Amino acid sequence: MMEERPLTDGTIALRNLDAQIDAFEPEVRAGHASVETRAGLTELISLRGLIVGRIADYEKAEEIAEQIVRDAPMDATALLARARTRGGFHRFNDALADVDQAERFGLETEAANGERAAILQAIGRYDESLALREEAAARRPNFENSAALVSLHADRGEIERAERSYQESCSRYRGVSPFPLALLDFQLGLMWMNAGRLDDARRSFKAACRRVPGYAQAQGHLAEVEAELGEIDSAISCLQLLAASSDDPDYAAQLARILAEDGRDDESRRWRQVAAARYDELIAGRPEAFADHAAEFWLAAGGDPEKALRLARLNVEVRNTPRARGLLAQAVAASA
Amino acid sequence: MSDHISGPRAIADPVIDITDVYAFPCPDSAQHLVLVMNVFPYAGPSALFSDAVIYRLRLRSVSTAPDGHSFAVAAAESVFDFTFSGTQPQEGRCTLPSGDVITFGVNEQSGASRRGVQVFAGQRSDPFFLDGPMAEKTIATRKLAFKETGSDRLYGKNVLGMVLRIEWATVLKGGPMFAVVGETLSAGKKPVRLERVGRPEIKNITLSAKIFDTVNRDLEIRDIYNEEDAFNISKNYAGAYRARLNANLAFFDGLDGKVDWPLDHEGNHPLTGLLLADFLVVDASKPFSETSYFEIEQAMLEGRVHSTCGGRWLNEDLVDTLLTLYVNAGKGPRIRDGVDAPIAWSSKVFPYMAPPNRAEAAAS
Repeated sequence: MMEERPLTDGTIALRNLDAQIDAFEPEVRAGHASVETRAGLTELISLRGLIVGRIADYEKAEEIAEQIVRDAPMDATALLARARTRGGFHRFNDALADVDQAERFGLETEAANGERAAILQAIGRYDESLALREEAAARRPNFENSAALVSLHADRGEIERAERSYQESCSRYRGVSPFPLALLDFQLGLMWMNAGRLDDARRSFKAACRRVPGYAQAQGHLAEVEAELGEIDSAISCLQLLAASSDDPDYAAQLARILAEDGRDDESRRWRQVAAARYDELIAGRPEAFADHAAEFWLAAGGDPEKALRLARLNVEVRNTPRARGLLAQAVAASA
Repeated sequence: MSDHISGPRAIADPVIDITDVYAFPCPDSAQHLVLVMNVFPYAGPSALFSDAVIYRLRLRSVSTAPDGHSFAVAAAESVFDFTFSGTQPQEGRCTLPSGDVITFGVNEQSGASRRGVQVFAGQRSDPFFLDGPMAEKTIATRKLAFKETGSDRLYGKNVLGMVLRIEWATVLKGGPMFAVVGETLSAGKKPVRLERVGRPEIKNITLSAKIFDTVNRDLEIRDIYNEEDAFNISKNYAGAYRARLNANLAFFDGLDGKVDWPLDHEGNHPLTGLLLADFLVVDASKPFSETSYFEIEQAMLEGRVHSTCGGRWLNEDLVDTLLTLYVNAGKGPRIRDGVDAPIAWSSKVFPYMAPPNRAEAAAS
């Protein structure tokens, strides 16, 4: 059993993340901020989006990153910021092009390869990603490089190696911010969930929520797992709160599915409509970014296999991962 | 930027990032020494101290060593530990060298007092000022890039500050000359040092540039440096720090086209040894002075007795002092970065630092 390390209370950490963003935003809005400050702000806003599950934050970060590159098209920091926000919205080819360009304008190769590895992993080119990640981990055996291997091994189905990387990462962590470890717990939870090991998944998602109580994605996935384990009421309570407060339709979608499975059709229908409207809105603006989750919704509570099939096909074009291929196979079967 | 964002770990988590440490005799009481440690650069209105960090100020008695150009540091130490609750509104505790504890509310202007010590912690205006981009440009272009009127990157920014007003003769061990270091450590059974600061602008202006260092050109040295005990630098990396300081100090010396700090036969810059002893030195027996940073060290280098309290006052234009020291050893014109004041001056009344700025102030 690993010794629990002292970490900043998750509520304080989230409040401090807000404090950083609030300190920089007026300066950025006024147009006085340097490229570094603006790029830093995109990182902070993206992190908040990731933790609290707020799509508007990703959009805000993207808007700033696009503006930085318009203002400083040959600045490596600006291009790197845009690569990350583009990657976040699944514009993987554009993101890779930005990384290449950033390297031409001075981004260190080690940093560029780290960015490439993340993008290659996202599009299912696991072997190439692994080569870059392992090289980095061998050269610098630190927390960041070990942590990057956790989800990559998980995506490759290498559960033992993922667990080992998780343990290594935790033992190498020297900070007090709860975010990096909560994100890592979440990755591990996803791995267990995909492997059908629901008790393990619950433990990891709970650990993530304990470290950062406001971690919406972890709460949402914990609710999904609890529902699978038969703890319907607590799952529904949690998802109702998330669905009501988040601009991400995933929570409403999961809630609609679980309510339907529980025979609460009227309530399910209401949340289905909420999710459907929001997915349609998001797909209209950024089809490649939301095709994956939208296809999943239309296959399940959404009840529109044809729509699911169209989106699943698009998703495989964007990221040819085992998950994307599995989703497409389900969509093909459902619409046959 | 003084010690703001001074290395990857500090950048990743501002709540551990010490921006500055100050030490000065109390302006209105010769019996008191004031210590200030600021953390959390660019703190927005909702910023809080971490409940998982020990914010520590360490003091040791110092004197001039027998060699005449270094400090002899006593082994006995006085430690002040600030810790904070995870609840809101936040409460603070300051553990004194005696083991006594002062509890107080964060942001309470008058703080709290006990056994000759007054404490404050809370959000304040960042007293540091400099033209950071031009400092970076100076390194990138290898030419002094400062303008007559510079642009202060810290204008209107806030920090989380901790202030101690200490009846030094009764509370501290030794004296009247003290070495002062600020640290952040992870709390828990085995505290781990995360950051440490003594002198200003060591890690950023003085250590961070890699391009002049022919020994470790690709080494981000600051996180390793942060982990060191200022009073007991490990031998493992001492050579790396020395090489980096020698290279960078020689670069600064050359900026005016002449050599004011000739290296010794081993290639050591005359300031390297002194700066590696990375603690503020303040003489509590001398009267308060507004501009006395490094005077004790300079006196030592010149073989004379120091005449001021040394240390560091909140309003001192540190960057100009430092640039002048590095570039011409004080023998030439004062080198200015073009920023001569913060958004608000600190006062001579407890808790000294100006109240926090509105979030919009930085954009004005």
